[in-house]
Amino acid sequence: MVSTNTTAGYPAGREASVPKYSTGIAKVVNSALYRYTLGAVVETRIGRIILLAGVPLIWLVMLHVGPIYQMLKISLTSHYPVLPGVESHFTLDNYAIFFRESLYFTPLIRSFIFATIATAATLVVVYPVAYYVAKIVRPEGRSKALLLLLVPFWAGELIRTFSVIMLLANRGAVNVLLREIGLIDRPIPMLYTSFSLGFGLVYLICLYMLLPLYSAIEKIPSPLLDAAADLGAGPFTRFRRIVLPLSRDGIVSGCSLVFLTCIGVFATPMLLGGPNTVLFPETISGFFHGASDKWPVGAAFALIMLVTALITAAIFMRLVGGKKRSAF
Amino acid sequence: MRYMFADAPRATLTACYWAFLLYLLLPLTLMMAMSFKDANFIAFPIGEWTLDWYVKVMQDKQFLEACLYSIMIAAAATVSATVLGTWIAMLIVAEGIRGRVVIFALACLPAVVPGMISAISLRIFVSAIDMPTGTAAIILGHTVHAVPFVVVMALTRLRTMPGNLVDAARDLGADSVVAFFRVTLPYLGPALFGGMIFCVLLSIDDFVRTFFLGGYRPTLPMLIFAKVQGGMSPEINAMATLVLVVTAAVGLYAEFMTRRARTR
Repeated sequence: MVSTNTTAGYPAGREASVPKYSTGIAKVVNSALYRYTLGAVVETRIGRIILLAGVPLIWLVMLHVGPIYQMLKISLTSHYPVLPGVESHFTLDNYAIFFRESLYFTPLIRSFIFATIATAATLVVVYPVAYYVAKIVRPEGRSKALLLLLVPFWAGELIRTFSVIMLLANRGAVNVLLREIGLIDRPIPMLYTSFSLGFGLVYLICLYMLLPLYSAIEKIPSPLLDAAADLGAGPFTRFRRIVLPLSRDGIVSGCSLVFLTCIGVFATPMLLGGPNTVLFPETISGFFHGASDKWPVGAAFALIMLVTALITAAIFMRLVGGKKRSAF
Repeated sequence: MRYMFADAPRATLTACYWAFLLYLLLPLTLMMAMSFKDANFIAFPIGEWTLDWYVKVMQDKQFLEACLYSIMIAAAATVSATVLGTWIAMLIVAEGIRGRVVIFALACLPAVVPGMISAISLRIFVSAIDMPTGTAAIILGHTVHAVPFVVVMALTRLRTMPGNLVDAARDLGADSVVAFFRVTLPYLGPALFGGMIFCVLLSIDDFVRTFFLGGYRPTLPMLIFAKVQGGMSPEINAMATLVLVVTAAVGLYAEFMTRRARTR
Protein backbone atom coordinates (compact mmCIF):
# COMPACT_ATOMS: atom_id res chain seq x y z
CA MET A 1 0.00 0.00 0.00
CA VAL A 2 2.90 2.33 0.62
CA SER A 3 4.56 3.32 -2.60
CA THR A 4 7.13 6.06 -2.12
CA ASN A 5 9.51 7.31 0.46
CA THR A 6 7.79 9.67 2.84
CA THR A 7 10.77 11.83 3.60
CA ALA A 8 11.57 15.04 1.81
CA GLY A 9 14.87 16.85 2.25
CA TYR A 10 16.29 14.15 4.45
CA PRO A 11 19.93 14.96 5.16
CA ALA A 12 22.33 12.48 3.65
CA GLY A 13 25.16 11.02 5.67
CA ARG A 14 23.33 11.52 8.89
CA GLU A 15 25.12 8.57 10.47
CA ALA A 16 28.15 10.75 11.06
CA SER A 17 26.48 13.42 13.16
CA VAL A 18 24.09 12.32 15.86
CA PRO A 19 21.62 15.18 16.43
CA LYS A 20 21.94 17.04 19.67
CA TYR A 21 18.82 17.73 21.68
CA SER A 22 18.75 20.16 24.50
CA THR A 23 15.84 18.51 26.31
CA GLY A 24 15.23 15.29 28.17
CA ILE A 25 14.31 13.47 24.99
CA ALA A 26 18.03 13.54 24.10
CA LYS A 27 18.69 10.91 26.74
CA VAL A 28 16.22 8.60 25.05
CA VAL A 29 17.19 9.34 21.45
CA ASN A 30 20.94 9.19 22.06
CA SER A 31 20.82 6.07 24.20
CA ALA A 32 22.31 2.95 22.67
CA LEU A 33 19.05 1.11 23.23
CA TYR A 34 17.11 3.56 21.07
CA ARG A 35 19.77 3.90 18.38
CA TYR A 36 20.12 0.19 17.82
CA THR A 37 16.40 -0.61 17.92
CA LEU A 38 13.82 1.98 16.92
CA GLY A 39 16.45 4.41 15.65
CA ALA A 40 17.87 1.77 13.34
CA VAL A 41 14.42 0.81 12.12
CA VAL A 42 13.50 4.32 11.01
CA GLU A 43 16.84 4.70 9.19
CA THR A 44 15.60 2.46 6.39
CA ARG A 45 12.60 3.03 4.18
CA ILE A 46 11.21 -0.47 4.74
CA GLY A 47 11.58 0.01 8.49
CA ARG A 48 9.63 3.24 8.40
CA ILE A 49 6.88 1.66 6.32
CA ILE A 50 6.55 -1.27 8.73
CA LEU A 51 6.53 1.04 11.72
CA LEU A 52 3.87 3.26 10.18
CA ALA A 53 1.60 0.66 8.60
CA GLY A 54 2.21 -2.56 10.50
CA VAL A 55 0.12 -2.17 13.63
CA PRO A 56 -2.75 -0.22 11.99
CA LEU A 57 -3.16 -2.71 9.15
CA ILE A 58 -3.01 -5.73 11.45
CA TRP A 59 -5.57 -4.11 13.77
CA LEU A 60 -7.91 -3.14 10.92
CA VAL A 61 -7.84 -6.58 9.33
CA MET A 62 -7.95 -8.55 12.57
CA LEU A 63 -10.48 -6.58 14.58
CA HIS A 64 -12.49 -4.47 12.19
CA VAL A 65 -12.96 -7.13 9.52
CA GLY A 66 -12.19 -10.26 11.56
CA PRO A 67 -15.39 -10.40 13.65
CA ILE A 68 -17.64 -9.95 10.62
CA TYR A 69 -15.67 -12.61 8.76
CA GLN A 70 -15.93 -15.05 11.67
CA MET A 71 -19.66 -14.39 11.87
CA LEU A 72 -20.00 -15.18 8.16
CA LYS A 73 -17.94 -18.35 8.56
CA ILE A 74 -19.97 -19.62 11.49
CA SER A 75 -23.27 -18.80 9.82
CA LEU A 76 -22.36 -21.30 7.09
CA THR A 77 -21.60 -24.20 9.42
CA SER A 78 -24.05 -26.64 10.97
CA HIS A 79 -22.65 -26.75 14.52
CA TYR A 80 -20.87 -24.23 16.67
CA PRO A 81 -19.26 -24.41 19.19
CA VAL A 82 -18.21 -27.81 17.87
CA LEU A 83 -18.81 -30.55 20.43
CA PRO A 84 -16.82 -33.78 20.49
CA GLY A 85 -18.44 -36.47 18.40
CA VAL A 86 -20.41 -34.03 16.25
CA GLU A 87 -19.37 -33.39 12.68
CA SER A 88 -19.72 -29.78 11.52
CA HIS A 89 -20.24 -29.26 7.81
CA PHE A 90 -21.02 -26.52 5.34
CA THR A 91 -24.71 -25.61 5.08
CA LEU A 92 -27.06 -22.85 4.01
CA ASP A 93 -29.78 -24.13 6.33
CA ASN A 94 -29.29 -21.35 8.89
CA TYR A 95 -30.41 -18.82 6.31
CA ALA A 96 -33.29 -20.97 5.13
CA ILE A 97 -34.75 -21.09 8.67
CA PHE A 98 -35.32 -17.37 8.51
CA PHE A 99 -37.52 -17.57 5.44
CA ARG A 100 -39.36 -20.65 6.64
CA GLU A 101 -40.75 -19.28 9.89
CA SER A 102 -42.80 -16.11 10.21
CA LEU A 103 -41.87 -16.18 13.90
CA TYR A 104 -38.48 -14.83 12.83
CA PHE A 105 -39.59 -12.89 9.79
CA THR A 106 -42.03 -10.66 11.68
CA PRO A 107 -39.52 -9.16 14.15
CA LEU A 108 -37.22 -8.10 11.32
CA ILE A 109 -40.07 -6.39 9.47
CA ARG A 110 -41.10 -4.78 12.76
CA SER A 111 -37.53 -3.62 13.37
CA PHE A 112 -37.47 -1.96 9.96
CA ILE A 113 -40.86 -0.32 10.45
CA PHE A 114 -39.87 1.04 13.86
CA ALA A 115 -36.51 2.29 12.60
CA THR A 116 -38.10 3.97 9.58
CA ILE A 117 -40.83 5.68 11.59
CA ALA A 118 -38.38 6.75 14.28
CA THR A 119 -36.03 8.17 11.62
CA ALA A 120 -38.82 10.10 9.91
CA ALA A 121 -40.16 11.40 13.23
CA THR A 122 -36.68 12.46 14.34
CA LEU A 123 -36.11 14.31 11.07
CA VAL A 124 -39.38 16.21 11.38
CA VAL A 125 -38.83 17.07 15.05
CA VAL A 126 -35.16 18.00 14.82
CA TYR A 127 -35.09 19.91 11.52
CA PRO A 128 -36.71 23.12 12.81
CA VAL A 129 -34.49 23.03 15.88
CA ALA A 130 -31.33 22.61 13.81
CA TYR A 131 -32.49 25.41 11.53
CA TYR A 132 -33.17 27.68 14.48
CA VAL A 133 -29.73 27.14 15.99
CA ALA A 134 -27.87 27.40 12.68
CA LYS A 135 -29.64 30.39 11.14
CA ILE A 136 -31.68 32.34 13.66
CA VAL A 137 -29.48 32.34 16.73
CA ARG A 138 -26.70 34.92 16.43
CA PRO A 139 -23.26 33.37 15.77
CA GLU A 140 -21.96 34.18 19.28
CA GLY A 141 -24.85 32.34 20.89
CA ARG A 142 -24.80 29.30 18.65
CA SER A 143 -22.43 27.09 20.58
CA LYS A 144 -24.32 27.83 23.80
CA ALA A 145 -27.65 27.00 22.21
CA LEU A 146 -26.17 23.78 20.87
CA LEU A 147 -24.51 22.86 24.14
CA LEU A 148 -27.82 23.13 25.98
CA LEU A 149 -29.23 20.50 23.62
CA LEU A 150 -26.23 18.23 24.10
CA VAL A 151 -26.33 18.08 27.90
CA PRO A 152 -28.97 15.31 28.08
CA PHE A 153 -26.90 13.10 25.81
CA TRP A 154 -24.17 12.68 28.35
CA ALA A 155 -26.66 10.68 30.37
CA GLY A 156 -26.16 7.51 28.36
CA GLU A 157 -28.50 5.05 26.70
CA LEU A 158 -29.85 3.23 29.75
CA ILE A 159 -30.43 6.25 31.95
CA ARG A 160 -32.30 8.04 29.17
CA THR A 161 -34.41 4.96 28.54
CA PHE A 162 -35.13 4.67 32.24
CA SER A 163 -36.13 8.32 32.44
CA VAL A 164 -38.77 7.77 29.75
CA ILE A 165 -40.42 5.30 32.14
CA MET A 166 -40.85 8.16 34.66
CA LEU A 167 -42.88 10.03 32.07
CA LEU A 168 -45.04 7.26 30.64
CA ALA A 169 -45.65 4.77 33.46
CA ASN A 170 -49.16 4.19 34.80
CA ARG A 171 -48.30 6.35 37.78
CA GLY A 172 -45.88 8.41 35.73
CA ALA A 173 -45.98 12.15 35.21
CA VAL A 174 -48.27 12.24 32.17
CA ASN A 175 -50.97 9.97 33.60
CA VAL A 176 -50.94 11.65 37.00
CA LEU A 177 -51.17 15.08 35.39
CA LEU A 178 -54.06 14.03 33.15
CA ARG A 179 -55.91 12.59 36.15
CA GLU A 180 -55.31 15.70 38.22
CA ILE A 181 -56.96 17.91 35.64
CA GLY A 182 -59.77 15.40 35.32
CA LEU A 183 -59.33 14.29 31.72
CA ILE A 184 -59.13 10.59 32.58
CA ASP A 185 -60.36 8.35 35.39
CA ARG A 186 -57.92 5.54 35.04
CA PRO A 187 -54.38 5.66 33.64
CA ILE A 188 -53.83 5.20 29.92
CA PRO A 189 -51.47 2.25 29.52
CA MET A 190 -48.64 3.81 27.57
CA LEU A 191 -45.63 1.87 28.79
CA TYR A 192 -44.68 -1.44 27.15
CA THR A 193 -46.49 -0.55 23.92
CA SER A 194 -45.40 0.51 20.45
CA PHE A 195 -45.95 4.09 21.51
CA SER A 196 -43.52 4.00 24.43
CA LEU A 197 -40.96 2.19 22.30
CA GLY A 198 -41.21 4.75 19.48
CA PHE A 199 -41.10 7.63 21.94
CA GLY A 200 -38.06 6.13 23.62
CA LEU A 201 -36.25 5.52 20.34
CA VAL A 202 -36.75 9.09 19.19
CA TYR A 203 -35.65 10.37 22.58
CA LEU A 204 -32.56 8.19 22.41
CA ILE A 205 -31.29 9.10 18.97
CA CYS A 206 -32.23 12.68 18.15
CA LEU A 207 -28.68 13.90 18.75
CA TYR A 208 -27.42 11.85 15.80
CA MET A 209 -29.83 13.80 13.63
CA LEU A 210 -29.14 17.20 15.18
CA LEU A 211 -25.43 17.47 14.53
CA PRO A 212 -25.35 16.54 10.80
CA LEU A 213 -28.39 18.74 10.10
CA TYR A 214 -26.90 21.64 12.02
CA SER A 215 -23.58 21.56 10.19
CA ALA A 216 -25.29 21.29 6.79
CA ILE A 217 -27.74 24.15 7.43
CA GLU A 218 -25.05 26.36 8.92
CA LYS A 219 -23.11 26.18 5.64
CA ILE A 220 -26.01 27.64 3.60
CA PRO A 221 -25.03 31.23 2.80
CA SER A 222 -27.54 33.64 4.33
CA PRO A 223 -27.31 36.13 1.40
CA LEU A 224 -28.94 33.45 -0.78
CA LEU A 225 -32.01 33.57 1.45
CA ASP A 226 -31.99 37.37 1.49
CA ALA A 227 -31.75 37.46 -2.31
CA ALA A 228 -34.65 35.04 -2.65
CA ALA A 229 -36.70 37.17 -0.27
CA ASP A 230 -35.90 40.30 -2.32
CA LEU A 231 -37.10 38.53 -5.43
CA GLY A 232 -40.41 37.88 -3.70
CA ALA A 233 -40.10 34.31 -2.47
CA GLY A 234 -42.13 33.62 0.65
CA PRO A 235 -40.83 31.62 3.61
CA PHE A 236 -42.21 28.37 2.29
CA THR A 237 -40.75 28.81 -1.20
CA ARG A 238 -37.38 29.76 0.26
CA PHE A 239 -37.43 26.65 2.40
CA ARG A 240 -38.43 24.36 -0.43
CA ARG A 241 -36.19 25.83 -3.14
CA ILE A 242 -33.07 26.77 -1.13
CA VAL A 243 -32.81 25.39 2.39
CA LEU A 244 -34.07 21.89 1.71
CA PRO A 245 -31.89 21.16 -1.36
CA LEU A 246 -28.79 22.67 0.22
CA SER A 247 -29.17 20.74 3.46
CA ARG A 248 -29.54 17.44 1.61
CA ASP A 249 -26.13 16.19 2.75
CA GLY A 250 -27.10 16.66 6.37
CA ILE A 251 -30.45 14.95 5.87
CA VAL A 252 -28.80 11.97 4.20
CA SER A 253 -26.07 11.45 6.77
CA GLY A 254 -28.37 12.17 9.72
CA CYS A 255 -31.04 9.77 8.51
CA SER A 256 -28.58 6.97 7.72
CA LEU A 257 -26.91 7.35 11.10
CA VAL A 258 -30.22 7.35 12.97
CA PHE A 259 -31.57 4.43 10.96
CA LEU A 260 -28.52 2.24 11.51
CA THR A 261 -28.42 3.10 15.21
CA CYS A 262 -32.12 2.39 15.62
CA ILE A 263 -31.85 -1.02 13.97
CA GLY A 264 -29.12 -2.05 16.40
CA VAL A 265 -30.68 -0.82 19.64
CA PHE A 266 -30.95 -3.66 22.12
CA ALA A 267 -31.64 -2.45 25.65
CA THR A 268 -34.39 0.09 24.90
CA PRO A 269 -36.90 -2.36 23.34
CA MET A 270 -36.31 -4.74 26.23
CA LEU A 271 -37.12 -2.05 28.81
CA LEU A 272 -39.81 -0.04 26.99
CA GLY A 273 -41.38 -2.59 24.69
CA GLY A 274 -43.92 -5.29 25.44
CA PRO A 275 -44.59 -8.80 24.18
CA ASN A 276 -46.02 -7.41 20.94
CA THR A 277 -43.03 -5.29 20.14
CA VAL A 278 -40.23 -7.85 20.07
CA LEU A 279 -37.60 -6.50 17.71
CA PHE A 280 -35.04 -8.44 15.74
CA PRO A 281 -32.05 -7.86 18.04
CA GLU A 282 -33.94 -9.57 20.85
CA THR A 283 -34.71 -12.50 18.52
CA ILE A 284 -31.03 -12.80 17.63
CA SER A 285 -29.99 -12.55 21.24
CA GLY A 286 -32.12 -15.61 22.00
CA PHE A 287 -29.80 -17.75 19.89
CA PHE A 288 -26.80 -16.76 22.01
CA HIS A 289 -28.30 -16.79 25.48
CA GLY A 290 -30.68 -19.21 27.05
CA ALA A 291 -31.12 -22.95 26.91
CA SER A 292 -31.32 -23.55 23.18
CA ASP A 293 -28.37 -21.55 21.93
CA LYS A 294 -27.77 -22.00 18.21
CA TRP A 295 -24.89 -19.75 17.30
CA PRO A 296 -24.87 -20.51 13.56
CA VAL A 297 -28.53 -19.50 13.24
CA GLY A 298 -27.91 -16.35 15.30
CA ALA A 299 -24.91 -15.46 13.14
CA ALA A 300 -26.94 -15.96 9.96
CA PHE A 301 -29.74 -13.77 11.32
CA ALA A 302 -27.33 -11.04 12.35
CA LEU A 303 -25.86 -11.06 8.84
CA ILE A 304 -29.31 -10.91 7.25
CA MET A 305 -30.05 -7.88 9.40
CA LEU A 306 -26.69 -6.21 8.67
CA VAL A 307 -27.01 -6.67 4.91
CA THR A 308 -30.64 -5.53 4.68
CA ALA A 309 -29.93 -2.51 6.90
CA LEU A 310 -26.89 -1.44 4.90
CA ILE A 311 -28.72 -1.94 1.59
CA THR A 312 -31.65 0.14 2.84
CA ALA A 313 -29.28 2.90 3.94
CA ALA A 314 -27.42 2.74 0.62
CA ILE A 315 -30.63 2.94 -1.43
CA PHE A 316 -31.74 5.89 0.66
CA MET A 317 -28.39 7.63 0.16
CA ARG A 318 -28.53 7.06 -3.58
CA LEU A 319 -32.14 8.25 -3.90
CA VAL A 320 -31.89 11.36 -1.74
CA GLY A 321 -28.19 12.08 -1.87
CA GLY A 322 -27.95 12.52 -5.62
CA LYS A 323 -24.41 12.55 -6.89
CA LYS A 324 -21.85 10.32 -5.27
CA ARG A 325 -18.98 11.78 -3.30
CA SER A 326 -15.92 10.05 -2.03
CA ALA A 327 -14.81 10.24 1.58
CA PHE A 328 -12.08 12.71 0.70
CA MET B 1 -29.75 43.76 9.38
CA ARG B 2 -32.79 42.29 7.73
CA TYR B 3 -34.37 39.20 9.17
CA MET B 4 -34.44 36.20 6.92
CA PHE B 5 -37.96 35.34 7.80
CA ALA B 6 -40.92 37.43 8.69
CA ASP B 7 -41.70 37.35 12.39
CA ALA B 8 -44.24 34.53 12.43
CA PRO B 9 -41.93 31.71 11.24
CA ARG B 10 -39.21 33.11 13.46
CA ALA B 11 -41.38 32.92 16.54
CA THR B 12 -42.52 29.42 15.59
CA LEU B 13 -38.93 28.24 15.26
CA THR B 14 -37.99 29.77 18.59
CA ALA B 15 -40.93 27.97 20.16
CA CYS B 16 -39.77 24.74 18.49
CA TYR B 17 -36.33 25.09 20.02
CA TRP B 18 -37.60 25.63 23.56
CA ALA B 19 -40.22 22.91 23.23
CA PHE B 20 -37.53 20.51 22.05
CA LEU B 21 -35.27 21.48 24.94
CA LEU B 22 -38.14 20.87 27.33
CA TYR B 23 -38.76 17.48 25.70
CA LEU B 24 -35.08 16.57 26.19
CA LEU B 25 -34.82 17.74 29.78
CA LEU B 26 -38.23 16.83 31.21
CA PRO B 27 -37.79 13.04 31.56
CA LEU B 28 -34.34 13.45 33.08
CA THR B 29 -35.59 16.09 35.50
CA LEU B 30 -38.46 13.84 36.56
CA MET B 31 -36.00 10.98 36.95
CA MET B 32 -33.81 13.10 39.22
CA ALA B 33 -36.73 14.42 41.24
CA MET B 34 -37.97 10.90 41.88
CA SER B 35 -34.68 10.01 43.56
CA PHE B 36 -35.76 12.19 46.50
CA LYS B 37 -39.09 10.42 47.03
CA ASP B 38 -39.62 9.06 50.53
CA ALA B 39 -41.26 5.75 49.58
CA ASN B 40 -39.95 2.55 48.14
CA PHE B 41 -41.90 2.62 44.89
CA ILE B 42 -41.82 4.94 41.90
CA ALA B 43 -44.98 7.01 41.46
CA PHE B 44 -46.05 10.61 41.13
CA PRO B 45 -46.76 12.84 42.98
CA ILE B 46 -43.64 12.76 45.09
CA GLY B 47 -45.10 13.98 48.38
CA GLU B 48 -42.47 13.39 51.05
CA TRP B 49 -38.84 14.18 50.18
CA THR B 50 -35.76 12.45 51.53
CA LEU B 51 -32.04 11.96 50.95
CA ASP B 52 -32.12 8.38 52.25
CA TRP B 53 -31.75 6.81 48.79
CA TYR B 54 -28.44 8.57 48.29
CA VAL B 55 -27.16 7.37 51.64
CA LYS B 56 -28.23 3.88 50.70
CA VAL B 57 -26.58 4.04 47.28
CA MET B 58 -23.33 5.35 48.70
CA GLN B 59 -23.22 2.39 51.07
CA ASP B 60 -24.14 -0.07 48.34
CA LYS B 61 -20.99 -2.12 47.80
CA GLN B 62 -22.29 -3.55 44.53
CA PHE B 63 -22.79 -0.07 43.09
CA LEU B 64 -19.36 1.17 44.12
CA GLU B 65 -17.71 -1.94 42.71
CA ALA B 66 -19.57 -1.53 39.43
CA CYS B 67 -18.41 2.11 39.29
CA LEU B 68 -14.78 1.13 39.77
CA TYR B 69 -15.07 -1.69 37.27
CA SER B 70 -16.64 0.59 34.64
CA ILE B 71 -13.96 3.24 35.18
CA MET B 72 -11.19 0.68 34.87
CA ILE B 73 -12.59 -0.71 31.62
CA ALA B 74 -13.13 2.80 30.25
CA ALA B 75 -9.55 3.82 31.07
CA ALA B 76 -8.02 0.75 29.42
CA ALA B 77 -10.24 0.97 26.34
CA THR B 78 -9.61 4.71 26.00
CA VAL B 79 -5.83 4.41 26.14
CA SER B 80 -5.71 1.62 23.57
CA ALA B 81 -8.28 3.24 21.28
CA THR B 82 -6.39 6.56 21.36
CA VAL B 83 -3.05 4.95 20.50
CA LEU B 84 -4.54 2.83 17.70
CA GLY B 85 -6.76 5.58 16.34
CA THR B 86 -3.89 8.05 16.15
CA TRP B 87 -1.68 5.46 14.51
CA ILE B 88 -4.33 4.69 11.87
CA ALA B 89 -4.87 8.41 11.24
CA MET B 90 -1.10 8.87 10.75
CA LEU B 91 -1.15 6.06 8.20
CA ILE B 92 -4.07 7.62 6.34
CA VAL B 93 -2.41 11.04 6.02
CA ALA B 94 1.07 9.68 5.23
CA GLU B 95 2.45 10.74 1.86
CA GLY B 96 2.33 8.27 -0.99
CA ILE B 97 -0.21 5.91 0.50
CA ARG B 98 -2.29 3.97 -1.98
CA GLY B 99 -5.75 2.81 -0.97
CA ARG B 100 -6.32 5.67 1.49
CA VAL B 101 -10.07 5.49 0.95
CA VAL B 102 -10.09 1.75 1.65
CA ILE B 103 -8.13 2.18 4.89
CA PHE B 104 -10.44 5.00 5.95
CA ALA B 105 -13.52 2.90 5.18
CA LEU B 106 -12.11 -0.04 7.16
CA ALA B 107 -11.30 2.27 10.07
CA CYS B 108 -14.89 3.55 10.13
CA LEU B 109 -16.51 0.11 9.75
CA PRO B 110 -17.25 -0.48 13.49
CA ALA B 111 -19.06 2.85 13.68
CA VAL B 112 -21.39 1.92 10.81
CA VAL B 113 -22.25 -1.61 11.92
CA PRO B 114 -25.35 -1.48 14.19
CA GLY B 115 -24.49 -2.01 17.87
CA MET B 116 -26.25 -5.33 18.28
CA ILE B 117 -24.51 -6.90 15.27
CA SER B 118 -21.17 -5.53 16.37
CA ALA B 119 -21.68 -7.14 19.77
CA ILE B 120 -22.66 -10.51 18.28
CA SER B 121 -19.75 -10.56 15.86
CA LEU B 122 -17.32 -9.67 18.65
CA ARG B 123 -18.78 -12.43 20.81
CA ILE B 124 -18.19 -14.93 18.01
CA PHE B 125 -14.71 -13.54 17.35
CA VAL B 126 -13.72 -13.77 21.00
CA SER B 127 -14.77 -17.40 21.15
CA ALA B 128 -13.07 -18.14 17.80
CA ILE B 129 -9.72 -17.01 19.21
CA ASP B 130 -10.38 -18.89 22.47
CA MET B 131 -10.52 -15.77 24.59
CA PRO B 132 -12.70 -16.12 27.69
CA THR B 133 -15.52 -13.62 28.12
CA GLY B 134 -14.89 -11.10 30.86
CA THR B 135 -12.77 -8.03 31.46
CA ALA B 136 -10.30 -8.45 28.58
CA ALA B 137 -13.06 -9.19 26.08
CA ILE B 138 -15.05 -6.13 27.18
CA ILE B 139 -12.00 -3.90 26.86
CA LEU B 140 -11.35 -5.29 23.38
CA GLY B 141 -14.94 -4.68 22.33
CA HIS B 142 -15.00 -1.13 23.67
CA THR B 143 -11.69 -0.39 21.95
CA VAL B 144 -13.00 -1.57 18.58
CA HIS B 145 -16.09 0.58 19.10
CA ALA B 146 -14.09 3.72 20.00
CA VAL B 147 -11.29 3.60 17.40
CA PRO B 148 -13.32 5.10 14.48
CA PHE B 149 -14.18 8.18 16.54
CA VAL B 150 -10.53 8.79 17.45
CA VAL B 151 -9.50 8.34 13.80
CA VAL B 152 -12.04 10.90 12.60
CA MET B 153 -11.14 13.45 15.29
CA ALA B 154 -7.39 13.03 14.71
CA LEU B 155 -7.84 13.30 10.92
CA THR B 156 -9.85 16.50 11.23
CA ARG B 157 -7.03 18.05 13.24
CA LEU B 158 -4.24 16.66 11.04
CA ARG B 159 -5.79 18.26 7.94
CA THR B 160 -5.33 21.72 9.45
CA MET B 161 -1.69 21.06 10.32
CA PRO B 162 0.84 23.01 8.26
CA GLY B 163 2.89 20.40 6.38
CA ASN B 164 6.17 22.25 6.77
CA LEU B 165 6.23 21.79 10.55
CA VAL B 166 7.32 18.18 10.26
CA ASP B 167 9.67 19.00 7.35
CA ALA B 168 11.37 21.61 9.50
CA ALA B 169 11.85 19.12 12.32
CA ARG B 170 13.30 16.61 9.87
CA ASP B 171 15.69 19.21 8.44
CA LEU B 172 16.88 19.90 11.95
CA GLY B 173 17.82 16.27 12.28
CA ALA B 174 14.86 14.62 14.00
CA ASP B 175 14.05 11.16 12.69
CA SER B 176 10.41 10.29 11.95
CA VAL B 177 9.73 8.91 15.42
CA VAL B 178 11.14 11.98 17.15
CA ALA B 179 9.31 14.28 14.73
CA PHE B 180 6.06 12.52 15.55
CA PHE B 181 6.46 12.76 19.31
CA ARG B 182 7.87 16.31 19.37
CA VAL B 183 5.80 17.97 16.63
CA THR B 184 2.75 16.05 15.44
CA LEU B 185 1.59 14.67 18.78
CA PRO B 186 1.62 18.04 20.61
CA TYR B 187 -0.26 19.54 17.68
CA LEU B 188 -2.86 16.76 17.90
CA GLY B 189 -3.17 17.27 21.67
CA PRO B 190 -6.51 19.09 21.95
CA ALA B 191 -8.23 16.81 19.41
CA LEU B 192 -6.96 13.71 21.19
CA PHE B 193 -8.06 15.06 24.56
CA GLY B 194 -11.58 15.57 23.22
CA GLY B 195 -11.44 12.14 21.61
CA MET B 196 -10.34 10.49 24.85
CA ILE B 197 -13.17 12.00 26.87
CA PHE B 198 -15.57 10.85 24.17
CA CYS B 199 -14.13 7.32 24.38
CA VAL B 200 -14.55 7.28 28.17
CA LEU B 201 -18.21 8.30 27.91
CA LEU B 202 -18.77 5.82 25.07
CA SER B 203 -17.32 2.99 27.14
CA ILE B 204 -19.11 3.82 30.38
CA ASP B 205 -22.38 4.11 28.46
CA ASP B 206 -22.01 0.91 26.45
CA PHE B 207 -24.53 -1.78 27.28
CA VAL B 208 -24.92 -4.17 24.39
CA ARG B 209 -21.23 -5.09 23.91
CA THR B 210 -20.75 -5.52 27.65
CA PHE B 211 -23.91 -7.64 27.80
CA PHE B 212 -22.53 -10.13 25.29
CA LEU B 213 -18.84 -9.99 26.18
CA GLY B 214 -19.06 -9.68 29.94
CA GLY B 215 -18.80 -12.23 32.68
CA TYR B 216 -20.61 -12.13 36.00
CA ARG B 217 -19.09 -8.87 37.21
CA PRO B 218 -21.57 -6.13 36.32
CA THR B 219 -20.53 -2.78 34.87
CA LEU B 220 -22.65 0.30 35.68
CA PRO B 221 -25.12 -0.08 32.78
CA MET B 222 -25.46 -3.80 33.47
CA LEU B 223 -26.23 -3.12 37.12
CA ILE B 224 -28.81 -0.46 36.28
CA PHE B 225 -30.38 -2.73 33.64
CA ALA B 226 -30.65 -5.61 36.09
CA LYS B 227 -32.21 -3.34 38.73
CA VAL B 228 -34.75 -1.85 36.29
CA GLN B 229 -35.80 -5.32 35.17
CA GLY B 230 -35.87 -6.66 38.69
CA GLY B 231 -38.39 -4.17 40.09
CA MET B 232 -38.09 -0.46 40.43
CA SER B 233 -37.45 1.70 43.46
CA PRO B 234 -36.15 5.26 43.80
CA GLU B 235 -32.79 3.71 44.58
CA ILE B 236 -32.21 3.32 40.81
CA ASN B 237 -33.07 6.99 40.40
CA ALA B 238 -30.47 8.00 42.95
CA MET B 239 -27.91 5.78 41.25
CA ALA B 240 -28.73 7.10 37.77
CA THR B 241 -28.70 10.69 39.04
CA LEU B 242 -25.22 10.28 40.49
CA VAL B 243 -23.93 8.74 37.24
CA LEU B 244 -25.64 11.42 35.18
CA VAL B 245 -24.20 14.29 37.20
CA VAL B 246 -20.66 12.90 36.99
CA THR B 247 -20.74 12.10 33.27
CA ALA B 248 -22.36 15.43 32.40
CA ALA B 249 -19.68 17.25 34.41
CA VAL B 250 -16.92 15.35 32.59
CA GLY B 251 -18.56 16.05 29.24
CA LEU B 252 -18.98 19.76 29.98
CA TYR B 253 -15.40 20.03 31.19
CA ALA B 254 -14.13 18.40 27.98
CA GLU B 255 -16.30 20.67 25.85
CA PHE B 256 -14.97 23.69 27.71
CA MET B 257 -11.33 22.60 27.39
CA THR B 258 -11.49 21.79 23.67
CA ARG B 259 -13.26 25.05 23.00
CA ARG B 260 -10.61 27.00 24.87
CA ALA B 261 -7.89 25.19 22.93
CA ARG B 262 -9.62 26.00 19.65
CA THR B 263 -9.92 29.71 20.33
CA ARG B 264 -6.39 30.09 21.63
